Amino acid sequence: MSSSTPELKQSQDKERLIKVSERRFERVVGVSFLLSFLATVGLGVVYWQGGQTQVEGALLFIALGGLGFGIVSWGKYLVPQGPYVQEREELQSPESEREAFVESLERGANQIQRRSFLVKMLGAAVGAFGIITLFPFIRSLGPQPKKMLYVTNWKKGSALVKADGTKVRATDLEVGGVLTVFPDGHPGGAISQTILIRPSFQDIVTKPGRETWGPQGYLAYSKVCTHAGCPVGLYQELTQQLLCPCHQSLFDVMTGANPVFGPAPRPLPQLPLYIDSQGYLRAQAGYDEPIGPGFWERGA
Amino acid sequence: MSYKPIDFLDERLGTAKFTRKSLNKIFPDHWSFMLGEIAMYSFFILLGTGVFLTLFFVPSSAPTVYHGSYAPLDGHVMSQAYASTLNLSFNVRAGLVMRQMHHWAANVFVAAIVVHLLRVFFTGAFRKPREINWLVGSLLLMLAILEGFLGYSLPDDLISGTGIRIAYSITLSVPVVGSYLASFLFGGQFPGDKIIPRFYTIHILLIPAIMAGLLGAHLAIMWHQKHTQYKGRGRTEKNVVGIAFWPAYAMQAGGFFFLTASVIAALGGLVQINPIWMYGPYIPYKVSYAVQPDWYMGWLDGALRLFPSWEIVGFGHMIPTIFFPAVLLPGITFGLLMAWPWIERRFTKDSQSHNLLENPRDNPWRTSIGVGVMAFYMVLFFASSTDVLANTFNLTLNFVLWAFRILVFVIPPIAAFVAYQLAKEARSVPLAGTPRKAMVIFRSPGGEYTTEESEPRSELVLKHSVFHGEEPLPLPEEARIHGQEVQTPVLEEERFVFSAPSAVAVVSEEIGERPSGGSGVYRIPRGAPGAGGGLFSPRGPRPASDGEDSEDEE
Amino acid sequence: MKFGKKLGGRVLFPVALGVAASVTGMALFSQGAAAATTPGSSNSSSTNSVTYGGTSGAGKAPITYLKLDPSTIALGKTLFVENCSSCHGDTAAGTSRAPNLQGLGAATIDFWISTGRMPLADPTVQATEKPSRFTRAQELAIDAYVSSLAPGGPAIPQVNLGAASLSAGQGLFSTNCAACHTITGVGDALAGGVYAPSLYPATTTQIAEAVRTGPGNMPRFGTGNLSTQQVADIVKYVKYLQHPNNAGGIGLGHVGPVTEGFVGILIGLGSLMIAGYWIGGRAR
Repeated sequence: MSSSTPELKQSQDKERLIKVSERRFERVVGVSFLLSFLATVGLGVVYWQGGQTQVEGALLFIALGGLGFGIVSWGKYLVPQGPYVQEREELQSPESEREAFVESLERGANQIQRRSFLVKMLGAAVGAFGIITLFPFIRSLGPQPKKMLYVTNWKKGSALVKADGTKVRATDLEVGGVLTVFPDGHPGGAISQTILIRPSFQDIVTKPGRETWGPQGYLAYSKVCTHAGCPVGLYQELTQQLLCPCHQSLFDVMTGANPVFGPAPRPLPQLPLYIDSQGYLRAQAGYDEPIGPGFWERGA
Repeated sequence: MSYKPIDFLDERLGTAKFTRKSLNKIFPDHWSFMLGEIAMYSFFILLGTGVFLTLFFVPSSAPTVYHGSYAPLDGHVMSQAYASTLNLSFNVRAGLVMRQMHHWAANVFVAAIVVHLLRVFFTGAFRKPREINWLVGSLLLMLAILEGFLGYSLPDDLISGTGIRIAYSITLSVPVVGSYLASFLFGGQFPGDKIIPRFYTIHILLIPAIMAGLLGAHLAIMWHQKHTQYKGRGRTEKNVVGIAFWPAYAMQAGGFFFLTASVIAALGGLVQINPIWMYGPYIPYKVSYAVQPDWYMGWLDGALRLFPSWEIVGFGHMIPTIFFPAVLLPGITFGLLMAWPWIERRFTKDSQSHNLLENPRDNPWRTSIGVGVMAFYMVLFFASSTDVLANTFNLTLNFVLWAFRILVFVIPPIAAFVAYQLAKEARSVPLAGTPRKAMVIFRSPGGEYTTEESEPRSELVLKHSVFHGEEPLPLPEEARIHGQEVQTPVLEEERFVFSAPSAVAVVSEEIGERPSGGSGVYRIPRGAPGAGGGLFSPRGPRPASDGEDSEDEE
Repeated sequence: MKFGKKLGGRVLFPVALGVAASVTGMALFSQGAAAATTPGSSNSSSTNSVTYGGTSGAGKAPITYLKLDPSTIALGKTLFVENCSSCHGDTAAGTSRAPNLQGLGAATIDFWISTGRMPLADPTVQATEKPSRFTRAQELAIDAYVSSLAPGGPAIPQVNLGAASLSAGQGLFSTNCAACHTITGVGDALAGGVYAPSLYPATTTQIAEAVRTGPGNMPRFGTGNLSTQQVADIVKYVKYLQHPNNAGGIGLGHVGPVTEGFVGILIGLGSLMIAGYWIGGRAR
């Protein structure tokens, strides 16, 4: 090599810079790994001492983060990055190969199809097997719906009970009161759940034909929203409206729970009530229509 | 040098050939190519934490009386699913951090998939030959959302139980078969005692298995087809320019896994998610206000809120109102998503294969459609929190709902129009897409100003790493394939001959040209500067004679 | 140490972040989480005014009613005339602008005044919670004056949390209150521009008063609906919700998946995208 030309000097400078830079990155990576190691040890200690979620999270963050930061830095700053170039392989096979493939396929198919009766038999056997074995995966799962969606546990004369099973008296609610009730014998039922509201002390007629349904100001509606089935448990006392917490359908209590806002398509079914001789609230009959969201078989 | 395990495997499986090729695979380097990796790593974290959770979770609706350490629920009757989730949160060491990591990872997982999808969409990466991977990826997104919903439902708390109730109603709303579907899925009338165990099986076995398979296919196809790349220096449709898999890419990607895990662990330990103990067990007649699903179901919930109360009744049958937003809308959404590569092709009539990505501004139509559709789902997403927005901004609920019903039609076209104009505008900027140069302003001692162009920015960026060369360079000698097998089946009429190993022709370097249609070879750059030497000898400022480079190689 | 400034920053930043995060984590959440992770310790948590599931005050009545001092009626009248009579009238009999308060009971009056909802700032919107204009003694004097005008209505309840059951309170709260106030008690918007307020600022007396008197749009829960014991249980659970067990970390306002989603996307995915930007770099 010739003596110091400016070029050589420059390249020596560069090399020195690289060396310094490399050493720096080595240190960064090393510190990262060390931190990760310490955090992992700390994690072990915390765990051994009974664990603490926040400390575990923080130490995991350092342990994993140190590892990740170190490895990435190493892979980014201490190994060559190229960029390298590589040719893409042709994805497509040559024409001849594709033709040959089709030929092979056809040859095999011809050999099979020669026995066409057997092919049909095979098809029948496999098809039947496929259909029949599908049944356990569908039909065994549950009963046919039948009348399931049309009935609730409310019957003629069902006493209204609270979730704990105690019967509801006509004196239990004040004006502006609200209570979730169930048919006697089925407290807590998902389908029969009914919301009992008392907007007044006077009998309430919500719609023509429902003259006797609201004795002493008691109104009972199915608590299952006609939109998506959420419990309509949100009673706004001043405006006498029921709001569904899921999708904000609004029902007007005094006019038969007609939907006045939001996505619900139908009013909440109303339960006809009466007060028996001992002062308990009872249902005159079950709901006169299916409760809850719509389904295909349901007419109107 | 020879390693025993390598010999062992190669003698039995012939692995060396393939793995060597893989080690030398080139990956284009760009931050937007890391989005899919975030999703993949989140998936791994979900698998790991999920396995831990299954060891403690009891998938049963059977009632039990709770007497654990969370006092506010002492003595409550609840499902074993809920009780075991409480126990795993409070009484299993590291249980809560695992549960929260699982949930955060799920949120990040779906988010990363969506952002990855957007990147693929807006850069046209789904075009031929990658339509199959687009389908696979779309399926993965669908399954991820479903999987997330199922997992969210498993603890059987008040909020998620309400979500299951809605899912039941949605199943019920399917025309013709809805009531059967619902009855079969739930084993009878809602709620029954079968849905939690069934969701559990689907959540931990069925869908993860399918997803793992699809993810494998997604990666294998990507590996086989090679990654797309952005336009740039030395990049053509026929090559890949980037960093090599071994060791740079492997280290960066592997390290990124740990970074992903560390962020999720930090969230899992420090930020509370889904505190089911505050929600209480699911009891069908109880309900909480402000019930929202996890964010990736938000658009469906928003659609449920916005869709008007139309119910189609006739001929003794009914199509319930929720069928439209909750069944039809997702059907159309994913149908269009999957069909998009073919839809676009109908209009562009473009049957070419593409390996170079488009800048979104170069395809204003696609970009504007994408932005419009995105805006539509964003509006639906925000509509899922109408109540929270009304409460936060002191608006009436009615106003917020009507505003969203209007915005859902108004915002998407506006967004699409703006995107189209911006794309056109950006395209018309002179020199758009070329490496930008800074104007450096000098002030002379006399107070005179002169300007001078700096170096192109791309070169400045390259200097980021001392090991980063400026021009794409070929792989080192040993990484290139010297010989290449040609497997041409010898075909004769009606008779076929398997090409036996002995029939494999070895095309040596002397042939030079690769035979048409054969598998690819690394370009052999005769006399390429800086090539040669040890493993991945660095290019650029490093001296060409790098004999001392052997430190890395043990 | 010859740490390059840039590189030093790169290392120190995550370290500092991690240390800061762990320290704040420990400081902020050790209390709640300690109660959660150590079975048994929950019964003697001293950080909350609520005793977890404890029944140390058992035997005493869960709610006693405050007997208002008749000698304060005169003071109450003065305050009432100064602050309330312009709308409710000198004898609280109501005017066209405001309802009759006679016979509503001391609890109703006390709730509206002590939560600062009355006197009203703007009669057209829902009364909002704000600092009370009066001292406690003044409030009680007004209560005494108004309730002296006509008999009836509930008296001011004083809740003995020691005699109340936290877990029974959870059950009752989720049945009766969560539908509007949300299961975590943060409250939410209702239809028609009104809202269910957050329960976090409420005192024990105010909670019991609200349950019994049903202020505004809130339904009324009488003795036939909720027993005195049950009201005390609910109060105890609401007091717990004001300082709930945040074993999982930062509570995110307890508004559920909406904020969780934003945190997951913006902080979770966002920080990972920044990391990806560092690793992957830009177009070259």
